[in-house]
Amino acid sequence: MLGELLNPYQLQIASFVLINIILAISVYVTLSSGQLSLGSAGFMGIGAYTSALVTIHFEFPIIVGVLVGAVVAGILGILIGIPALRLSGVYLAIATLGLGEVIRVIFVNWESLTNGAVGISNIPQIGREIVFTTRDLGFNATSLGLQNNQFASLSVFLILFVLNIFIIWFIVRQKNSRVGRAFSAIQLDEKAAESMGINVTYYKVLSFAQGAVLAGLAGALFAHVMGYISPSDFAYHRAVEILIFTVFGGSEVIVGSVFGAAFLTLMPEVLRFISEYRYIIYGVLLVILMAVRPQGIIDANILKRLKRSKGGDVHGS
Amino acid sequence: MLLEQLVNGITLGSIYAIVALGFTLVFGVLGIINMAHGEIFMVGAYVGVMTTGVLGWPLWLGFIAAILVTAFLGYLLESLTLRPLRGKKGVSHLAPLISTIGVSIFLENMTHHLFGAGNKPFRTPFAQLSIEIGSVTIYVVQIIIFVISILLMMGLSIWLSKTKAGKALRATAENLETASILGVDTKRTIIMTVVIASAMGGIAGVLVGMAFNSVSPQMGLAIGLKGLAIIILGGMGNVKGAMVGGLILGLAETFLVAYGDSGYRDAIAFIMIIIILLLKPQGIFGSKAAQEGR
Repeated sequence: MLGELLNPYQLQIASFVLINIILAISVYVTLSSGQLSLGSAGFMGIGAYTSALVTIHFEFPIIVGVLVGAVVAGILGILIGIPALRLSGVYLAIATLGLGEVIRVIFVNWESLTNGAVGISNIPQIGREIVFTTRDLGFNATSLGLQNNQFASLSVFLILFVLNIFIIWFIVRQKNSRVGRAFSAIQLDEKAAESMGINVTYYKVLSFAQGAVLAGLAGALFAHVMGYISPSDFAYHRAVEILIFTVFGGSEVIVGSVFGAAFLTLMPEVLRFISEYRYIIYGVLLVILMAVRPQGIIDANILKRLKRSKGGDVHGS
Repeated sequence: MLLEQLVNGITLGSIYAIVALGFTLVFGVLGIINMAHGEIFMVGAYVGVMTTGVLGWPLWLGFIAAILVTAFLGYLLESLTLRPLRGKKGVSHLAPLISTIGVSIFLENMTHHLFGAGNKPFRTPFAQLSIEIGSVTIYVVQIIIFVISILLMMGLSIWLSKTKAGKALRATAENLETASILGVDTKRTIIMTVVIASAMGGIAGVLVGMAFNSVSPQMGLAIGLKGLAIIILGGMGNVKGAMVGGLILGLAETFLVAYGDSGYRDAIAFIMIIIILLLKPQGIFGSKAAQEGR
């Protein structure tokens, strides 16, 4: 029965939604301290390539590869963040835009390592590895009434889902902690925050590096879900797309990023004819949003109202 | 060989300088990085290609068409995306940046949609004409690019320092409110600034089309990044810095291509950004105060 309900294609799209949510959160974390990073695609690429290369060449387990990818992206984030963050936010946006482009140029040109513009294929895939491992342990997916590929997609989805829950939990906890309050103080007024004794540079680098780690993590996961990556997966367009997830959904609250990523990933799947005009629509969307609703679709007010109406209405919504 | 590379570098550098001037004018007056400038430049290049290549207009008419189209785009950019955000309370300083990113991605994909992804060749009647001075070969195109760039830069400098409108622009750049109190029509000045900056981008677009014989929808991003690198190098909002920075980047890239690995040519701009941010964040010609940003 379960076997009839699960469609690997839909599960894969659901997995992409979850990866995009991680990416959107990476932008959200950086924006929560008032910084705009246009390098998320670059960090994502670093995570993806690092993880793909160490799992292929050194035969690391995927989980180690993913972690290495995230850490390398984070270190790079710190290295870029420190010089750029001494100055106003505009410099960071430019430096990260440049970084993203340079990373792409390196991916294209360092052919001996990255296989150039063709990209890397045969990356170990999470789903397949799980099927093989469980088979070796004597477990057979058909005992659940599932095909192997259904089982693979389902396990990928579940792993990503748990990871998403964990990341959201972490960010929500952080938001209500000393660190989170420092972030929002810096976002509101950097000078005031500094005069209150907040180490502005430290917290800015921290939030920027967190964003880089998350983007690297998402990139590594992307590589091991797709099994194939190329430099064009991590171009400027991807960075803008990720930025739109957060800005459209709402950059004040984490629910906004989740909503934005989910909505904008599913939209082109549901409405096929839109897919072709996606970036044109994104561009118009950004301009309109900034003029009409700079905080995005979902903000703190809407959440409050939703909670109140849920309290009064038994059926909820 | 060396002299030829020097000529190539100066030609490239003078185009970069014009692009950077567009960024620096807008930043100086509005305190905004106009992320759409590269794409306006790209539109200018396409207008040049379409009018001269497809419609067969003479080059000077192509220039005028490019100037008109990009100036109009600049006007739209200002009135549709920048003006609604100005003076609005509670708008983050990132809002105009994000808004112009929206314009840039719109223009790029619109062009992609209308004209296709590939490179379009840019034909000029004198593409292969060259002059030999000793052992050095100089193409006529290079001379034209250089002369137009110099004229443009000189014109802008004189306009900024001598005319009433130019003075109004500088006053607005200095302090918008004070200028407004002193009777400068700041709204008009801002529109004029964005329009002029965009038209300069359009001219630079046609020049680049001539220099490289091709245009593509992605050229805006690459050149935009270089323009941004140049204004960081020269100091944000600094006109002289943009000119010198452009020449430095043009020469650096040309010599890398000639004596090093051409694949990494686009990386120089970024390396320059990082070095400047580490060593002299206010830029070569920037004043200490500019470091604070806005």
